Amino acid sequence: MAQEKGTAVPVLLSKAELLKQGAEARVYRAEFLGKPAIVKERFPKRYRHPVLDEKLTHRRTVQEVRSILRCRKAGISAPVVYFVDYTSHCIFLEEIVGSSTVRDHIASTQQSCKDQELERLAQQMGQILARMHDEDVIHGDLTTSNMLLRRGTEDEESDLVLIDFGLSYISALPEDKGVDLYVLEKAFLSTHPNTEALFQKLLKSYTASSKKSSAVIKKLDEVRLRGRKRSMVG
Amino acid sequence: MHLTQELELFPEHRVTLLLFKEVKNAAELRKSAMEGKINGALINPTMLVDPFQVLVAANKAVHLQKIEKMKTRNLYSEIIFNLSPTNNISEAFKRFGISDGDDSVMVVVVHNKDESQLLTDIVAKVDGQQVSVEDISSMSDSAKIKKLYKVTPQEEKCGTLLDAVVCRMATKDVL
Repeated sequence: MAQEKGTAVPVLLSKAELLKQGAEARVYRAEFLGKPAIVKERFPKRYRHPVLDEKLTHRRTVQEVRSILRCRKAGISAPVVYFVDYTSHCIFLEEIVGSSTVRDHIASTQQSCKDQELERLAQQMGQILARMHDEDVIHGDLTTSNMLLRRGTEDEESDLVLIDFGLSYISALPEDKGVDLYVLEKAFLSTHPNTEALFQKLLKSYTASSKKSSAVIKKLDEVRLRGRKRSMVG
Repeated sequence: MHLTQELELFPEHRVTLLLFKEVKNAAELRKSAMEGKINGALINPTMLVDPFQVLVAANKAVHLQKIEKMKTRNLYSEIIFNLSPTNNISEAFKRFGISDGDDSVMVVVVHNKDESQLLTDIVAKVDGQQVSVEDISSMSDSAKIKKLYKVTPQEEKCGTLLDAVVCRMATKDVL
């Protein structure tokens, strides 16, 4: 179908290296104008009505690039958007070369018992999420796999890069920010055993850095009691 | 001197960039470009950070031409339009196209494998000195670029000026 409209992206992807496939999209590694790039392709979901599918997919693609730009404008590292094809719903992004996920980093650092280093990282994560929420960007899928550590030059500490804004949106509601943190808490504690104290450090640094944190933390406590979904009873 | 890059998405197409300084016939060049006598886009180098910026614009132009969604009349005007952070076409030409008094020019040519004749034609038309495309960085006016693309010091902390510019170019149609 995409081919009829004449977009050339599917041909390129058929030869590119598939990195990951999720429920929503496939991620490839490819070269773009001579630079290493990551291509995120939202493929058609056959279980949805075609019209609805097209609309949802289009909106998510748009939201993803908008959130990335908004974060970057606020000084939060996210991959550079090189090119977007709205006919095949592909986003060409900068590849963060020489990076590892925060998930892998925590796992390996935990083994070598470098608690101080982990605390510094948790602090950094809290600060960045606070800045993101202050810009009213809700990530929607915060996990330690969706944060990358880009090794900085010798003197700097390594840079934290947020990725996968596929479920992100713009909202100023403390409720949405609270749920965003709740999702991270769930993911964090289930992927990294015995890190309750570490996550508390993260929240503490979030509270200290965000101007609007008190309402968010209050909501987070509420969300913890009832779960991610709001009760519609009554 | 010039730089040729294959478009991975369109393997039958290549983009070549040529940079000239001490150009004496900018007015004449602009006129013939508007009449369609020059097979290329003429760009004001002071608005360019890096050759990659132009390649991104050219790739997008070829893509939009293929899917028949160009906003301007032809491929070369589309390249100039794509460089601009706004969706205003005449503004884009004013900022990124060349003006009669300019003394430097970047020429962008989209072609297939055999380009030598095209390039010879361009070089013959420009009354100026061809320099390496890499010299673009010494010609760019970063203060003006930052102002036009609205790049804040905050944003420059998480990436280069080129990153900021490319991001805006790539996402401008959905903002």
